[in-house]
Amino acid sequence: MECRVDDHKVTTESKTTEPAGRTSSSLSPSLKGRELWRSLEDLAQTEGFADFSEREFQEGAQVLEGDDRRHFMKIMGAGFALAGLGAASCRRLPETKIAPYAQRPADRDPGVAVEYASACEIGGSATPVLVKSYDGRPIYLRGNGANPGLTSNACGSMVQGTVLQLYDPQRLRVLTRKAADSDWARFSAWMKDRVAGHQDGSGMAVLSGASSGPSMERVKARFSTTLPKAAWAEWEPINDDSVLSGTRTAFGSPHQVVPQIEEADIIVSLDADFLGTGSNSTNNGHHWAQRRRLAGKPEDATMSRVYQFESMLSVTGMAADERVALRSGSIPELASAMLARLSGTGSGSTAIEKRLSSAVNRTFAGPDGKDVDLTDLEVFEEAMKDLESHRGSCLVLAGAGQPPEVHAAVALINQRLGNAGKTVSYRPISERSASRLEAITSLTQAMNAGSIKTLFIFDSNPCYDAPADLEFAKALAKVDEVVFVGTHSSETSVSPSVTWVVPGAHYLESWGDTRAFDGTITLVQPLIYPMVDTSQGGRSMLELMAMMVDMTPDTGLEIVRETSAERKGAADDYAFERAWRKALSRGFEPDTQFELSAPKVDQSKVMAALNALPAVDESAVELTICHDSKVYDGRFSNVGWMQELPDPVSKLTWDNALYLGPQLASDNELSHGDMVTMSTGDGSIDTVVMVMPGMAENSCSMTIGYGRGAEAGVIADGAGFNLYPLRTSKAMHLRKVSLKKTGDTYPLATTQDHGIYGSLDPTVPEEGIQQRLPTIVREGSLEMYRENPSFNKSTAHIAHSLSLWEETNLDGAKFRWAMSIDLTTCIGCSECVVACQAENNIPVVGKDQVIRGREMHWLRIDRYFKGGTASRPDQVVAQPVCCVHCENAPCEQVCPVAATVHDKDGLNVMVYNRCIGTRYCSNNCPYKVRRFNWFDYQRREPVREQEGLFAVKPQYYTSQGPNEWRRMQFNPDVTVRSRGVMEKCSFCAQNIAAAKIKYKNEWARAGGGATGKDWTIPDGAIKCACEEACSTGAISFGDLNDPKSRVSKAFASARTYDLLGELNTKPRLKYLTRVTNPMSDRAIYVKGHHGHGHGHGDHDSHGHDHGHDHGHDHDHDHDHDHDHDHGASSSHSSAASDVENIKEASS
Amino acid sequence: MSRFLFPRWSNALLPLLAVVGGITPLYVVFFVAYGFSPKTLEVGYQPKQPVPFSHALHAGELGMDCRYCHNTVERANHAAIPATQTCMNCHTLVKPESPKLEQVQASYENGMPIEWIKIHHVADYAYFSHQAHVNRGVGCVSCHGRIDQMEEVYQSKPLSMGWCLECHRNPEPNLRPVDEITNMSWGLALGLQGEELKAEKTRLAEQRAEVLNLYHINPSENCSTCHR
Repeated sequence: MECRVDDHKVTTESKTTEPAGRTSSSLSPSLKGRELWRSLEDLAQTEGFADFSEREFQEGAQVLEGDDRRHFMKIMGAGFALAGLGAASCRRLPETKIAPYAQRPADRDPGVAVEYASACEIGGSATPVLVKSYDGRPIYLRGNGANPGLTSNACGSMVQGTVLQLYDPQRLRVLTRKAADSDWARFSAWMKDRVAGHQDGSGMAVLSGASSGPSMERVKARFSTTLPKAAWAEWEPINDDSVLSGTRTAFGSPHQVVPQIEEADIIVSLDADFLGTGSNSTNNGHHWAQRRRLAGKPEDATMSRVYQFESMLSVTGMAADERVALRSGSIPELASAMLARLSGTGSGSTAIEKRLSSAVNRTFAGPDGKDVDLTDLEVFEEAMKDLESHRGSCLVLAGAGQPPEVHAAVALINQRLGNAGKTVSYRPISERSASRLEAITSLTQAMNAGSIKTLFIFDSNPCYDAPADLEFAKALAKVDEVVFVGTHSSETSVSPSVTWVVPGAHYLESWGDTRAFDGTITLVQPLIYPMVDTSQGGRSMLELMAMMVDMTPDTGLEIVRETSAERKGAADDYAFERAWRKALSRGFEPDTQFELSAPKVDQSKVMAALNALPAVDESAVELTICHDSKVYDGRFSNVGWMQELPDPVSKLTWDNALYLGPQLASDNELSHGDMVTMSTGDGSIDTVVMVMPGMAENSCSMTIGYGRGAEAGVIADGAGFNLYPLRTSKAMHLRKVSLKKTGDTYPLATTQDHGIYGSLDPTVPEEGIQQRLPTIVREGSLEMYRENPSFNKSTAHIAHSLSLWEETNLDGAKFRWAMSIDLTTCIGCSECVVACQAENNIPVVGKDQVIRGREMHWLRIDRYFKGGTASRPDQVVAQPVCCVHCENAPCEQVCPVAATVHDKDGLNVMVYNRCIGTRYCSNNCPYKVRRFNWFDYQRREPVREQEGLFAVKPQYYTSQGPNEWRRMQFNPDVTVRSRGVMEKCSFCAQNIAAAKIKYKNEWARAGGGATGKDWTIPDGAIKCACEEACSTGAISFGDLNDPKSRVSKAFASARTYDLLGELNTKPRLKYLTRVTNPMSDRAIYVKGHHGHGHGHGDHDSHGHDHGHDHGHDHDHDHDHDHDHDHGASSSHSSAASDVENIKEASS
Repeated sequence: MSRFLFPRWSNALLPLLAVVGGITPLYVVFFVAYGFSPKTLEVGYQPKQPVPFSHALHAGELGMDCRYCHNTVERANHAAIPATQTCMNCHTLVKPESPKLEQVQASYENGMPIEWIKIHHVADYAYFSHQAHVNRGVGCVSCHGRIDQMEEVYQSKPLSMGWCLECHRNPEPNLRPVDEITNMSWGLALGLQGEELKAEKTRLAEQRAEVLNLYHINPSENCSTCHR
């Protein structure tokens, strides 16, 4: 399958002297031949990249920035003097105090973590969570899988980030009145008077974020009776307006679309990133994976198939089986063409179809050795065929950024295909919350008209994120009194028009209720007393609104209880108390889901709407305005974890950028890191360019939520560029832009080439690496898997399994811990990275440090493009890599102080207190998973710009420092590492130790050896943070000594392979080969390689044998001695000689 | 300019210099090895506690079980310092007027904790679990010494890594039946002689071996056992 490397030459013009991190603008879009590549630099093999990949640490990683040698010596001198003082203080540790409870609550054991059910509401939809609380401090979140509204224990990375947001030192803490200090008593008195002064509410308005809880509904109902003339607008910059408007056209009233992904055999997605940034994506991921797991017999294996039509490569696009890069603006035409074909009136010659037919989706070698192109049209036609042959079990989805007409058309398509009620259902939405845009528009109009005298803004930041043409900030100046209530300072809170700034309560500090995506009523309970002094605020929106409308009782708990009591009817107190406590402990009220329906589509209206759509100007450059998978609409931009998380697709950290394809970039003479002025008819912004493969032609894309200033906090300050000025009420998702190079450049911190596996030896040519890469990320089609489940073995040929040193003896171990990662279900969403960071006290290092390759994430997600061209890679594969815990670990051999050693259970243990920081281990690690603490990262602010070596703030997180809250999030079960120490994935050793103690104690209490059995730990009792956070269940951890454990079964699977197995490291983390389900009759593996595909059957057994055959007398020089005549080797028959077979098997 | 010459009498200092030069490194080595050892620095640490609570009285004379106050020891990694409530269980009736109890009563009334001073300190990167030890036959006295005889508690064992490993390598001498965990005086009785002593020693050794077998005790010396 990998034998298409027929034209294996690196184009000469791409051999520039550009440093790594820069793309040459002369990238040839027709580059071919690289089977797997991680970035455009990699594809073009710039010299900078070659240099980069050969380095152990990045260029500059060991350079003292901003300090010359003399300065260094001076500081070192001072350091030695201080060390002298340090030695003098080498005595007993300072006195520490223990403060026990005065009265310890029942069942509360100090130092034992407890979990409480709560929920995190983002944009009006809740993610039910279990909050791990350690001595009263919430430190870690996981999804509450018991809640019907959540299907797994994954909660998503943004939700995880809210824990850090709680402890953000820059939260609002002081209540101010016209920028002068005030307090809660004065504010509440003022509010009572002010609201009373408005009598029926005329001249008063409330602007808040969306909320869906029944208690808020009660407050809203009371609001409209006590203050009937007052307005309440709910604004969310990321909303479903378009979907709701589209379904209104289709059904007559707005409906939310509820897909049942697990029921669909065929999914055609029109610009819908349902696995990534789309709403409900954690559930979607779980459901998608249910149909992708290969558990049963290989010959009976089935999988769903996803066709993705999108303009920018998304997480869904990476996971899709077939992907067509298509301008967002062309999707409506595509939907029309789909409808036409379904009704049999399709001519096949519409404008869109013509364009599709001229675009090459993939190229592969035909049977006669000639290239055969597969066009986008053929993919589209195949998708249509698949849809028609799977009536009732297929699904068409449209992205929230598509215009309403597309959503209406998709509703019609799904109805025509008989999917309504089967793979997709609908839920009616009240007209009132159907248009967020309308809400804020009418409010702004009223403000401009001067009819609003008092405005309350809750948890909303309209000065930053309202549509630019509304000019909200100007309208705000016309309001006499503006009250801002929120947890964080923002563009709105610092507006001079705001007269009251009231610190709000975080959801982890307040009572409330909300609804999960499926409608299940989910309770929110506080985990910690408000961090803000209650004399300065610290009230939730629910409490404040209850106060405003004079509700009694007005405490959060009482309101929520009363709502619950009202819903349940007048049961007696005792029964209610029981039900309430049960609901609270479970976190939800069962059987409260929304009712779903499948109303009939009004065809004529849909067709009329669709036909009324104006034609698209294909020549103009379109900009798709996307929402960010990390900072959402900007509300999480001061969360360090989110900023430092590499974007799942672009691998960009700390910034957003304008993504555009290589063709559009070279048309405008732009390259990676260039600044560009992007203008529309009504405004322009300057932003930075990042060249991305997989973009549709003439299409660029950028996310909102960046470009915030100092008012948003030190972490948000200066991150990326603000796209909101180009987002107007007429163009919320898509607009025409023109690009103009400014001539400036901007440093971007991308991690896409970090940890690259270069050649072992610079003398090994590029081809050598190419032979190696397919063994690193192995993948194939479902058909290949059915034919030969161990097809992956043919990609690697393991020559010797001899060890250079005496291997660790792990015989007789009680446990053999191991992990398996299934690349088939991994979508690269990066939720695991954040969960790992939260669990293991991993520091945030800052943009400057990321550029130097010093990011500390124990788990990185490698992303490979496969085949194709720079504009159109054939496939994208995500591969999470953390420490693989080699049984035969190279790192252990070189540590001079035995700081990294093996334990009996097979863990490669990192002993921080022994480490002296030689970094030899990292040098010797072939997987590049070891992370070095170049600085005391936990004690300094993440550095955005280079500002000298000694920017360390020793007081940073101590009780006197500016960040005394930060340390409250630390997991006390994991050592907080300091400078000069190496660290890496521990397989969550703290959880393993805790489980061992727990299960052995249970056994000992039951009588120990007298029970006649030895103690065991059940499979699944130990969960690594990454495993728990994985919505698709791609990661499993367990004991290999237990033959029934999930990991044992995974290791026994034919799809299992060792990463870099040829090094004989014997990793305890193995991967399951990625299997995709590309379109059947014209699949790449069949169309061009039919004869070849069968040939593999022979190689497989061969390669497999060799993998375990240590002593065969084959001449291994052949591995490095390829003649690269792949055209010939791809057509040779199974009768070829042994030597030739091996050659092919390893290519 | 004439060159500086050491005066002749300074020759007498040479042997002295040799002696000092020879002894100093040795002195430094011994100073560091013994002076900085936890045996020197840690053992005997006896800070003054805010409340003059006597373990000798409560655990010794009155014979209260350790677990009455340190009740989480069997189910948690920490043997929690008791809540003020625990003190007041008895002291609402016992000696309520004693001036020594003023702080305790104040804490009980205003809900603020009594700030005890931590004595047994294990480094932050080492994780010790009480429940893992007391449920498998390692008694309190093994690490804490004769608390029942301490008027004011002090650290009696070094709690150093080498000291931990001594027992992890050879746990048997520190084992005892699980129901004798809190018994400070369990073990060889004083005053035995001859055959009696021998028989008692054998009996105890048998009991220890029995515990070892019953709980499959095979303490790990892996780094990950304590360092995470």
